[in-house]
Amino acid sequence: MAKKKSFAARKVGIVGASVTPFKGRWVEKTFYDLAQWATRDALKDAGISPAEVDAVAYGIYNDIFERAAIPEHPLQGIIGLPNKPGIRVTNGGATGIYTIASAFAFVASGMYDTALVLGVEKATDCYDFVSRSATPEVIKTIAWSGDSFFEQKIGWTASDSYAEVILAYMDEHPGDLKPEVTAKISSVLSEHVKTNPYAQRQFDQVTPEEVLNSRYIVYPLKEMEICVYSEGAAALVLAEEETAKAIAKNTGRPVVWITGVGLSNEWSFAGKGMNHWGRIYSHHVAAQQAYEMAGITDPAKEIQVVELHDAFIQQLEISMAEMGFVPMGRADALVDDGLMLDGGPISVNPSGGLLYCGHAVGASNIMSAWAARNELIDKGKHRALVHGTGSTICQYGGVAILEHED
Amino acid sequence: MEQRKKVIPESYIPIEASRTLRMEDKDYLLMNDAMYTFYERSMGEFSQFFMALRDEKKILGCRCSACGVVRCPPMLTHCPDCAFAPTEPVEVGQTGKLLSTPPITYFATSMFLDKAPFGRGRLVLEGADTALSIMLYTTTGILTPGIMKKGTEIKIVFQDERTGQISDIFGVPTSELTPEQAQKPGLLASELNWAAVKEPDLGQATEEAKRASQGTLVELEALLKEMSASKRASKAIENWKRTIAVKTPAVEFGLIIDNGRIWLERGRPQSSDFVMATEDIRVLLDGLDYKGAITDAIVKRKLWISKNIEFVTIFKLDRLARFLAREKKEGAAKG
Ligand SMILES: [Zn+2]
Repeated sequence: MAKKKSFAARKVGIVGASVTPFKGRWVEKTFYDLAQWATRDALKDAGISPAEVDAVAYGIYNDIFERAAIPEHPLQGIIGLPNKPGIRVTNGGATGIYTIASAFAFVASGMYDTALVLGVEKATDCYDFVSRSATPEVIKTIAWSGDSFFEQKIGWTASDSYAEVILAYMDEHPGDLKPEVTAKISSVLSEHVKTNPYAQRQFDQVTPEEVLNSRYIVYPLKEMEICVYSEGAAALVLAEEETAKAIAKNTGRPVVWITGVGLSNEWSFAGKGMNHWGRIYSHHVAAQQAYEMAGITDPAKEIQVVELHDAFIQQLEISMAEMGFVPMGRADALVDDGLMLDGGPISVNPSGGLLYCGHAVGASNIMSAWAARNELIDKGKHRALVHGTGSTICQYGGVAILEHED
Repeated sequence: MEQRKKVIPESYIPIEASRTLRMEDKDYLLMNDAMYTFYERSMGEFSQFFMALRDEKKILGCRCSACGVVRCPPMLTHCPDCAFAPTEPVEVGQTGKLLSTPPITYFATSMFLDKAPFGRGRLVLEGADTALSIMLYTTTGILTPGIMKKGTEIKIVFQDERTGQISDIFGVPTSELTPEQAQKPGLLASELNWAAVKEPDLGQATEEAKRASQGTLVELEALLKEMSASKRASKAIENWKRTIAVKTPAVEFGLIIDNGRIWLERGRPQSSDFVMATEDIRVLLDGLDYKGAITDAIVKRKLWISKNIEFVTIFKLDRLARFLAREKKEGAAKG
């Protein structure tokens, strides 16, 4: 475990947020316009102009998706922040949570008073002219992220690398992650998405039986247990304490404070002394850091909302166990004990998650933060956890704790 | 000749062209394009590892001079656990055990469509402490769950034509080999006894089954008609063309896919792109009716296809079923 977490120098809050609609494909817009759209709406939500934003952190995962190296450079002017600092963050699937953490550090350190978090992603312009469909080329594009010496040339994909981790967990805990439980969770998320008008699959409610009947993509993962690739953008406006309070007074929307942040990247290979095989240890470490910073000792009792990066339902379950909501090996308690069902103590992915809202990679975790903030303010809840995962074998993990005092 | 293969196969490369797509009364432009870079890549400290694969059919690891841990693949020249003590190359065995149950890829990327289904596992070779990522096959036909698990003993097999890349090797279960093959260092792919692709024996249908199949055919025809008529569903098979010879004990027919439309022609087709065989025609009907995926029917060996590469068509049929079901459902939800 890393050395004791030092606490942020200044309090940082979210005072504005937005998402564009997430769609399977945005033929009508490039990522320039998607990024500007999310920026316009987030600044409008905060009631401020670009002049009042000191810096920006861009979350854009994959250069090949955007079909440009340094894809963020045109955005600086387009979003109205010329001559201000901009940093681009790319951390695989966890790009969004790392972007939030970077902007948080900008403000917490005292370097800047306000910062924009802006995530955007195209994906489905990638097209395979042999099979005449996008998906094989989209997953090929992501497959350039595998180890380039030892794994890319033998069929590494994001799905098969997460499947490895899930199967290794199942080897250790053969009674957990029951197919009827993963099917139920997918079905529950498809009900949540009904109230998210920005979601790619708002009207795609599925029954557990349909999930069980859906096809294998990569064993043991079935189509309806896997997130869908999406295009879209999302943004947050962060501000230090006094600025945040002033903005909140003006908009009438309370500040949602970021009280804890934790990040961890594990070994990318397995075997003696390397990755904790059968676990997603990075999620455990990131959560523990964030809890310590936020002063949380019992997450299952102290957190009411979880917006979790559900790349795969089985990984959602393991991540919930790694973050201390259910015991390792008994993640099915999420459903068996009703923890995340209607009326249960924890609301998991009220947005519908990346399965149903969609996975616009660089924007995904930022969408999750947008959804968590809405849930806290609109439902009058106290504390939320936002989570991100990424890279080969769930190597990257990030957690942020959001709090609402009113 | 393997050595003369293009780095990017010709068939992957689109022609220079564009098209317009109409979205809510406005036209938008879609441009055929590619983002490409060629490399003459330095293999650096991994050169010996890859040359040993290519030239000597040997697997190298690296041993830490301080803690003695042997890492394969030989990831590093100095051990991060021992104040960066130097490591030295060491040969490891060609048999090992799987660190965990391997996933099986059925839906592959565009570069691996012709290789699926395949497994990819973590193999701890004899004499090594860490796991090598490796592609896994069975010699017994389509790879299905249960054939390989955590602890399954795997033997490394070398491709006959090797180029000094990690794809020069793959693994098969030792239990599928003769004792001589299992012992032999540098075992070649051509030395394996691959199960020949042969059509399953479907047996004879009863008169009753033959009569029942006529009713199922009528149901199937009605469903295919609905699919062809649905703009949303037919997207799954747009620009796709296949003639599938469907064989069941009770009935044979052709399933024709032609750019967004799908229909059946009674009787054995004159020629076909591939054969689909099943004891019960309902397996296919249920798949297309979104009551259990056709992919899974193949995985569970209820349905057989003559060419693995046609999984790509099977996926399109599964999507077709899903798109139609989703269109109906969303139509109902929106009222
Ligand atoms: Zn060492």
